[in-house]
Amino acid sequence: MSDFDAALEGWTRLARRQFLGRVGVDALGAVALPSLLSRMASTAPATGDRPSPGLPELPHRPPRAKNVIFLTQSGGPSQIELYDDKPGLMEWAGKELPESVRQGQRLTTMTANQKQLVMPSRAKFGRYGKSGATVGEWLPHIAKVADELCFVKSMVTEEINHAPAMTKFLTGHQLAGRPSLGAWCSYGLGSENGNLPDYLVMISKMKRPSDQPLYDHYWGSGFLPSRYQGVKLRNANDPVLYLRDPEGLPREIRREMLDGVAELNRLHLDRMKDPEIETRIRQYEMAWRMQTSVPELADLSDEPEATFELYGPDSRRPGTYAANCILARRLVERGVRFVQLFHPDWDHHSRLGSWCVARCRDTDQASAALVLDLKQRGLLNDTLVVWGGEFGRGVAGQGEWDSPDGGRDHHPRCFTVWLAGGGVKSGLTYGATDDFSYNVAENPVHVRDLHATILHLLGINHEAFTYRSQGLDFRLTGVEQARVVHDILA
Amino acid sequence: MKSSLAVGCIVLGLSHSFLLGAEPVNFSREILPLLSDRCFQCHGPDETHRATELRFDERDSALAEHSGGAVIVPGDAARSELFARITSSDPDSVMPPREAHRKPFTPREIERIRTWIDEGATWGKHWAFEPPNRPDLLENGVHPIDQLVDQRLREKGLQRSQKADRETLIRRVSFDLTGLPPTVAEIDAFLADQSPDAYERVVDRLLQSPRYGERMAMWWLDLARYSDTDGFQGDATRTNWPWRDWVIESFNTGMPFDQFTIEQFAGDLLPNASPNQILATCFHRNHMTNGEGGRDPEESRIDYVIDRVNTTGIVWLGLTLGCSQCHDHKFDPISQRDYYSLFAFFDSLDEDGKAGSAAKPYLKFRSPYAERDANQAAELEKQRANRLAETRVTVLQGFDGWLADLRSRTSSGFEPWTILHANAMRTVEGTVLEQHDDGTFVASGPNPRQDDYVIAGAASLPRVTGLRLEVFPHESHSKGRYSRGETGEFILTDLKLQVRRAGAPGLKDIAIVSAIADAELDAKARQYGKVQDTLDDDPRNGWTTDPEGEAVPHKAIYALAEPLVLGDDEELVVTLLHRSTVGDANLGRFRLAVTDQPGEAVRSLEPMPLERLAALPAEAAIDDELRKELEAQFLIDQPAWREALSEWEAADRQAKAMKSASGEMNVMVMAERAEPRTTYILQRGVWDQKGEEVSRGLPAAVLPVSLSSESSRLDLARWLVADENPLTARVIVNQFWQLLFGAGLVRTPDDFGLQGLPPAHPEVLDWLALEFRDSGWDVRHVLRAIVLSETYQQSSEVSPELLERDPSNEWLARGARYRLPSWMLRDAALHAAGLLEPNVGGPPVMPYQPEGVWEEMFMGRFKYEPSQGTAQHRRTVYAFWRRAAAPTFLFDNAQRRVCESVPRLTNTPLHALTLLNDVSLLEAAREIARQAIAEQQSAEQRLVAMSRAILGRPPRAEEQAILLAKLERTLAAYRNDPKQAEVFLEFGQPELQTAENPTELAAYLVIASLLFNLDEAMTHE
Repeated sequence: MSDFDAALEGWTRLARRQFLGRVGVDALGAVALPSLLSRMASTAPATGDRPSPGLPELPHRPPRAKNVIFLTQSGGPSQIELYDDKPGLMEWAGKELPESVRQGQRLTTMTANQKQLVMPSRAKFGRYGKSGATVGEWLPHIAKVADELCFVKSMVTEEINHAPAMTKFLTGHQLAGRPSLGAWCSYGLGSENGNLPDYLVMISKMKRPSDQPLYDHYWGSGFLPSRYQGVKLRNANDPVLYLRDPEGLPREIRREMLDGVAELNRLHLDRMKDPEIETRIRQYEMAWRMQTSVPELADLSDEPEATFELYGPDSRRPGTYAANCILARRLVERGVRFVQLFHPDWDHHSRLGSWCVARCRDTDQASAALVLDLKQRGLLNDTLVVWGGEFGRGVAGQGEWDSPDGGRDHHPRCFTVWLAGGGVKSGLTYGATDDFSYNVAENPVHVRDLHATILHLLGINHEAFTYRSQGLDFRLTGVEQARVVHDILA
Repeated sequence: MKSSLAVGCIVLGLSHSFLLGAEPVNFSREILPLLSDRCFQCHGPDETHRATELRFDERDSALAEHSGGAVIVPGDAARSELFARITSSDPDSVMPPREAHRKPFTPREIERIRTWIDEGATWGKHWAFEPPNRPDLLENGVHPIDQLVDQRLREKGLQRSQKADRETLIRRVSFDLTGLPPTVAEIDAFLADQSPDAYERVVDRLLQSPRYGERMAMWWLDLARYSDTDGFQGDATRTNWPWRDWVIESFNTGMPFDQFTIEQFAGDLLPNASPNQILATCFHRNHMTNGEGGRDPEESRIDYVIDRVNTTGIVWLGLTLGCSQCHDHKFDPISQRDYYSLFAFFDSLDEDGKAGSAAKPYLKFRSPYAERDANQAAELEKQRANRLAETRVTVLQGFDGWLADLRSRTSSGFEPWTILHANAMRTVEGTVLEQHDDGTFVASGPNPRQDDYVIAGAASLPRVTGLRLEVFPHESHSKGRYSRGETGEFILTDLKLQVRRAGAPGLKDIAIVSAIADAELDAKARQYGKVQDTLDDDPRNGWTTDPEGEAVPHKAIYALAEPLVLGDDEELVVTLLHRSTVGDANLGRFRLAVTDQPGEAVRSLEPMPLERLAALPAEAAIDDELRKELEAQFLIDQPAWREALSEWEAADRQAKAMKSASGEMNVMVMAERAEPRTTYILQRGVWDQKGEEVSRGLPAAVLPVSLSSESSRLDLARWLVADENPLTARVIVNQFWQLLFGAGLVRTPDDFGLQGLPPAHPEVLDWLALEFRDSGWDVRHVLRAIVLSETYQQSSEVSPELLERDPSNEWLARGARYRLPSWMLRDAALHAAGLLEPNVGGPPVMPYQPEGVWEEMFMGRFKYEPSQGTAQHRRTVYAFWRRAAAPTFLFDNAQRRVCESVPRLTNTPLHALTLLNDVSLLEAAREIARQAIAEQQSAEQRLVAMSRAILGRPPRAEEQAILLAKLERTLAAYRNDPKQAEVFLEFGQPELQTAENPTELAAYLVIASLLFNLDEAMTHE
């Protein structure tokens, strides 16, 4: 039995117990469980009055994925500790990185004046699943689902600082002002749910002030109309800004008032004939429906105990990455096109052994659970899951290479992302780096190639998907050559 | 016949008025845009992407022979290769090729190209690079704009709509020129004034109002990407707001636009530059700055210079210069060399790419307005201090009774701490925990390197205000100290507190505000030592004690942010995390306890006041110090006092902030460095890829000039506003048009180049541009000219036929109807309510926005505190702009990261939610309701008053009926549940919360809010 099957069985066992416990009918135990589970999982169909249609010419080809969940690991997780096993580095420990490898790579000013001494991985590695994928010991849960994932170890970017690198990772360009991937998808493909925005963003609640703020242009619409920008689901009382009516304004009074707004707007429409008024009436009704649909979505009390067991103890605390992973699955169930999570603070310049580990603990179990959960519910076929950050980390130690205080500086020339579901080959490792996890040795995948591939999976030809702004036809993948990575497609 | 041609245009999907089949082809308006759009990508100005030597941006090349054949044979389309290729059915030879992803030519476009070639293939420049033409006008007393618009409309078989009614007109022009609606008195005066120049006098009054400068400044600030913060890493605050006031003053004093330009580009280089002229140059320092650790400042500096060039391009030239940063422009005659020649003007500032408080050069500047605001804030602080003192006296009347009661209850002793007994405990990595009878937890079994202990237990207290953790040494531990680890030391990296309800899956996080301990190791940041560091979820720091210290029990006390009241089915979950880098330091013995004592009691290690009270002999007097502490403890549990306290604290913080803003500020300005930098073309626009050297120069395609070797930013500015510059005047008047009609005559205000949309009324654009220039760049003159035209004054009602023919109102056969900018909606609401604070200038203010927006984004590093008193009701132009999280109530506004000149106008449910629930709008609605109730007797009269204040007109009979019905039902609902009404009214400024009759006020508030949410209320009609 594979690790995946084992995990799945554990989950079904829990779900069965929960399910039967809740319904209290033993006889049901005989019914085929998967179908029951999937029926249990299916929520009421989307019932908004008019889901936004997207562009008529899209998709260009039959899509492999309908939805995307982008698990953004902000700060630059270390591929050297997490995925890219380089046992040979032990021999180089403490020795200077050869110039033949470094090849003039820029460093940030944090380490530019320091000797580049090789620091081997702080984490031990194992091989997992039938595919024998290498995963570091700090990610035991992801290791167990390795056969579901497609690891791309040859990711490349140019930027070495957070804001430009993240801006490029999400919008295709290092300067703010372009639409994000999610906004492009929302613009092109529209939504299947008239009660929720097409593009939703969630940020893990952290106690520590982060050194890398998550700017709202990361999910901005750039030059696209602002209705395509990501809507941030907050952890506050208002999951969406201004969603909650003031205290002391009961729902029935609000309804009364909105009826008044609609009646008067209709009279005005008769007089002015401006179709914009018609739209306004509809949007106010949608606002009313969102006031119910969003809190319902965010309220996890209807999830069975098994869900929390699967996603781990953190998932019980609203606002955590794990709780947001559950929400991501609920959003996909409701037909939301693009869901983006952000987990900050992967910027481990020091103390890899505690800092990087802490972020692994925040995210490992829930990331793996999300893949399992989607698969179990039959959603993984249509949902593309992407895990990754804006760049990787360098092989040289920052600070003392042999002290527990040592960390790693930013590194753009190679990093690892993984994808799952949505038409991507599972159990595949694609691309490779050199012996130092420093340069890509085979099959480089630039950020824009990743974008082209994601669009391709959604049925979009990235070269033909353009938007005119300032007299130019912009596209997500920009002016330089971008390729769809066909080798990783199922 | 209503012009079959116009119908034909619709069928063919062409909307531009000049694309009329029967006229001779106009090269620059019809053919050049087609060549640009379909061909320039590979056959245009960009040398590197040119597929062959054939280019269509230059006449000689297009008409020359290529590969032995003529591409264009003037007079003979049939023999022209161009025509053959665009009509080819062979996929290998058709142009544009499929792989270029350009749209194929439409039959109509092909026809026009054929006609153009057959007519002789005359060539010309792109229209915007030709000087403006003074159009032929009749001396017939008809406004020039109307003459020109009417001419175009006649060609279409259309005519202008009737004039808007007077109530609509005064509302429209007031919003357009001041950003505010007219007051009821202003409307009445205008309706009563039957003199022929009544409207003109309204216009002149508005243009002279200080509100005019604020309105224009909001436009300019968006273009200038003005912000009160850096925008990147840390998003540090800057104090450039005196420049914002300079902009407002410049508009209000009528500074000519050429001077306005020159001072902002080069005020510092003018002879005997005044501080205000230097202040003006902040314009080109408003870009984002990036102080991210590890970033090369030179890379940032290059970004800033690029931003200045691109902003200049968009604002003055209407050109997308940014395209030429990496390569020659693909469509417009701007080469990469041109780009870096402009770049050179800004390349030698005395700056070094740093951000935050190191973003030199600075001007030391003291705002003339800040002292006024500081005094105002001090006054409010005094008022609220008085109120607090009064509240204290009232509340303290209950103190003696409370004290007597306590004294009798504590006479037999008082123990503030209740030991927490676990219902359940577990560890993550395998340590075995066991709780002894005295409450001590003891660790045994495996001793992993790191572990988390999770302990759940009920707290049998009415509420919990604090948590105590005691750690004990034990002989079984290493060296008799605190843990079973090798050193015997413990390191607690974090402590978390949660609540769990029986049967519910979720856990609720409980906020802890402070932690103190009786011993900790003196430690720097990110070292192990301080107990406070157990609150930040960072495993790189945490609590430990001095390894040299004596092995005695220690304690830490955690204070909760808010008293926690637990339900019967709820329990506390305490998690102790030992995740240090060094590890092997998990607690061996510890104990947990909770208390219900408020305030200082859980922020101090001293015996609590009640403990000391209990220790006193029965008859002993209470000394002053203890009495004071008991008083404080009493007060903190009185809601009325707590509320008055936090209101005073907010005013006090504001008074201090305003005071510090009235001193000298550093404003980022421009200044040249002693030694100019050498400028290079940057290959592919990459900051450190230096190519050829370039010197300062101006794009000849726009206006050729020769510059001396001493040229400076001053020359650049003078060139921009030179009489002969074909672009600047057109681009700026187009922006003015956009301010008044919601869309420019050129619908791509940032692109007057070949890829931009041509104007539907080119003659109007040219006439205005020349008026602007010839009036001495008088902004008011141009605005006045536009709003006095009949074209501007048309009704915005539309017939279905006209809507179908001209959905976006390009031809101007009706008035402009569009949603007002969100900032105007806030200002209008405050103004209608009489709340708007009229002062001009001063430090930024914080209008209401939902709690936690900044805190979430910066994980608590910045806290947003809404302004107090009248500072809350200042115009939006004075609102603090944090670039990383723009004001939440401003939907569709420019984001001010980079220059943006295209208006955004969307219509989404999120906007509806904002207008329904934004506190600013609710506060305005409450005041309007209050006034209507106070000043009018009947419900009908009150509804009329509210409608006039908000919509500028009384309701029609059928509307009145609807409003009355809603009012009655709302009133009935609140009368049924008057408590709700009281709760509803508790928001916003404390000074505005009182209500004589809460039920009534709440119901009228709902109706006022209903009116604010009508489409009409938010629309330029």
